[in-house]
Amino acid sequence: MSLLSQILTILLNGLQQGAIYVLLAVGLSIILGTLKFVNFAHGALYLLGAYLGLFITTEVQLTNGMLPEWGITTFGLGLGFLAALLIVPLVTFVVGIVMERFVAKPFYDRPDTDQILVTFGLAVIFQEALRALIGGDSQSLPQPAWASGPIALPIIGNFPRWRLGVIVITALLVLFVYALVEYTDFGLIVRAGTMDSEMVRLLGIRLDRPYLVVFGIGAALAGIAGVVGGPLANVNPNIGTEQLVPAFLTVVIGGVGKIEGAVLAGLLLGTLQVLLIQTGFAAWNRVGIYVLAAVILLVRPQGLLGSEVDVE
Amino acid sequence: MSDEPSDATAAAEISEEAGLDGRLEAIQDSELAVVGIAVVGVLLFPLVFNNLLNGYTQLATLVLVWGIFALGFDILLGYTGLLSFGHALFWGGAAYAAGIFSASVSGQPVLVILFGTLIAVLLAWIIGFLSLRRGGIYFAILTLTFGQMAFYLSSSPLAFLTNGENGFTSVSIAPLFGVLDLHGSLGGPLAMLPGNTLYLFVGAVTVLTIALANRILNSPYGIVFKAIRENESRAEFVGLDVWRYKLMAFIISALFAGISGSLFAIEGNYVPLSSLYWTTSGEVVIMTVLGGVGSLFGPLFGAAVYLYIEFIVSGMDVVGPFWHLILGLVFVVVVVLFPDGIWGGVTAIRDYIGGERR
Repeated sequence: MSLLSQILTILLNGLQQGAIYVLLAVGLSIILGTLKFVNFAHGALYLLGAYLGLFITTEVQLTNGMLPEWGITTFGLGLGFLAALLIVPLVTFVVGIVMERFVAKPFYDRPDTDQILVTFGLAVIFQEALRALIGGDSQSLPQPAWASGPIALPIIGNFPRWRLGVIVITALLVLFVYALVEYTDFGLIVRAGTMDSEMVRLLGIRLDRPYLVVFGIGAALAGIAGVVGGPLANVNPNIGTEQLVPAFLTVVIGGVGKIEGAVLAGLLLGTLQVLLIQTGFAAWNRVGIYVLAAVILLVRPQGLLGSEVDVE
Repeated sequence: MSDEPSDATAAAEISEEAGLDGRLEAIQDSELAVVGIAVVGVLLFPLVFNNLLNGYTQLATLVLVWGIFALGFDILLGYTGLLSFGHALFWGGAAYAAGIFSASVSGQPVLVILFGTLIAVLLAWIIGFLSLRRGGIYFAILTLTFGQMAFYLSSSPLAFLTNGENGFTSVSIAPLFGVLDLHGSLGGPLAMLPGNTLYLFVGAVTVLTIALANRILNSPYGIVFKAIRENESRAEFVGLDVWRYKLMAFIISALFAGISGSLFAIEGNYVPLSSLYWTTSGEVVIMTVLGGVGSLFGPLFGAAVYLYIEFIVSGMDVVGPFWHLILGLVFVVVVVLFPDGIWGGVTAIRDYIGGERR
C-alpha cells in the first residue's frame, strides 16, 4: 500500500467516523445558536432514530424486557432500510416540534443550568423506558442490501460501500440545511433572530414558527444519524448518551451556531480518531479527541469558526 | 480585604432579625445544633431504614458515602450556581488513588482517605483553573470533557495502574489505628450501637463533613458563594474576585468528592471503572437536585432517595424493572415544579405549619 493510498484511506475513514458527529452536531448547534437552548436530550433523539430505523427495517425477535412478557415477541414492520431512511426523519421532526413546544419553550427564560437538568432528565426517562420495554440487549441494524459489500475506488482500493453511503448522505443533508439557512427567506429570519430576536419581533415577524422548524430539523438530523449510524455499530439503549458527549464537543469546537464549524470540527475529531487507531495508538483514540477538544477550547474558547460576539 | 462587604451584609442580617425569632434562628443555625442533628440522624438512620423501610446496613453506609459527595456538590451547584458534569473525575479519581495507595503504600484508613482526597483536590485545582474560564454551558461541557478524558485514560492507556475494564480489585484496608477492623464487628458495649463498624466509621466522617460544610457555608467566605449565585456581576462590582471564589468553591466540592470517593473504595474494597464514567457525574447531579439545592441536609436526603429507588424499589414486584425510569420521572418533576427539591418542599411545608416568619 502506497503512502498516498494510506493517507487517503485514513481521510476517508475519518470522514465517515466524523460524519455521524457532524449530523448530530449540526442539529445541536443550530438549536443552541438560534434558540439558545441546551439540549442534553439530543443523544436520546439519536437513540430514537436508531431504534425506529431498526423496527422499520426488520422484524426483531425480543427476548428481554416487558414487551415479550406481555406476549409480544416479534416487533417491527420489516419495510426495509430505504423506508426507514424516509420515515425516521419525519417522525423525529415531529418529535422535535413537540419537544420545542412543551419542553424547550417553557425553559427559554430559565438559566442554562435548568435547561441542562430537564433535558438530561428526559434523556434518562426515554433511555430507561426503552430498556424496560425491550431489554438492554444489543441488536444489529442490517446494512441495506443495495449498499453492502465493498466498492472499488481509485487509488484506495476496496472500501465498504455503506461507509461511503454514510458520507454521501451526510454531505447532502448538511448542504441542504446550509442552503436553507443561508439562501432562503426562512434562513434569513432565523439568522436575524439569532443576532437580535427582540429586533426581529419588533419588525413584526413572528419567531415562534421558525424556532419550531429549527428544532424539528435538528431533531430530524439526529434521527437520521441514528439510522445511518446504526449499521456501523450495535444498537442498544446506551448509544444515545455515548454519542451525546462527542456531539457536544463537536459543537463547541466548531463554534456554536456555525454549520461550517460543526462540519470542520466533526471531520477533525473523526480523522484524529482514525489516525490514532490506524497508526497503532488505538488505546488512545478516545483520549485523543478529548485532549484535542480541551486544547482547542482553552486556546480558542469561542470555537474554531465561532465569533467573539456569540460568547456570553 | 475582599471579605469586608459580605461581613457587613451578614452583620446587617443579624441586626435585622434581632429579637426572639432572630435568636431562635441563630440557635438553629449554630454549629452545635447542626452537629447534634447530624449525630442523631446518623445514629437513627439505620434503625428507621432497616426496620421500617426494608433497608440494610450496607446500603445505609452507601447512602452516607454518596451523601458526602452530594453535599460537596451542592456547595458548587446550589450555593455558587455552577453545574459541573465532571465530578466523577474527582470521586472516581479519589477512589482509584485511595485504592492504589492502600495496595502499595499503606492500608491505614485515615491515610488512605487523606491521600485520595489530596489527589482529588489537586486534580480539581488544575481542572477548575482550566474549566472556569468559561461560564454556563461551556463550564458544563469542559468539565464533562475532562471527566471523559480521565475515563478513557483509565480504561486503557493507564490500565497498568487502574486494571482497566475490570476495575481496581486489590484494595487492601488495614484495621483502623491498627486495632479496629472496619469490616469486622464491634465488641463490648459498642455493639449496642446501630449499624456495624464500617457504618459507624463512615457515619463519623459524615458528621465531620457536615460540620465542615456548615462552617464553610456560614462563614463570610461561604456567603460570597451565595452572592455569586444571586448576581455575579454585582459581586464583581462590589470588588470581589469572583473567579477566585468560583475556583475555591470548585476545589471545596472536589474535597468532599474526594473524601466520599476514598470512603467508597474502603467500603466496597473495589473501584469499578464506571466510577469515572460521566453517568456517575449525572447521578450526583440527580441526587443533589432531587434532595434540594442550596440546603445542608437536602443532598444527603437526595442520596438516600436515589439509592433507595436504585436498590430497594428495583427489587419490588411490579415497579422493580422501572426503577431508573421512575427516578428520571421524579427528577424531571422536581426540576420543573420544585426547584428547591424535596427537602425544600418539606421545609416550605414546615414553615407554613409553623406560621410563616417573613
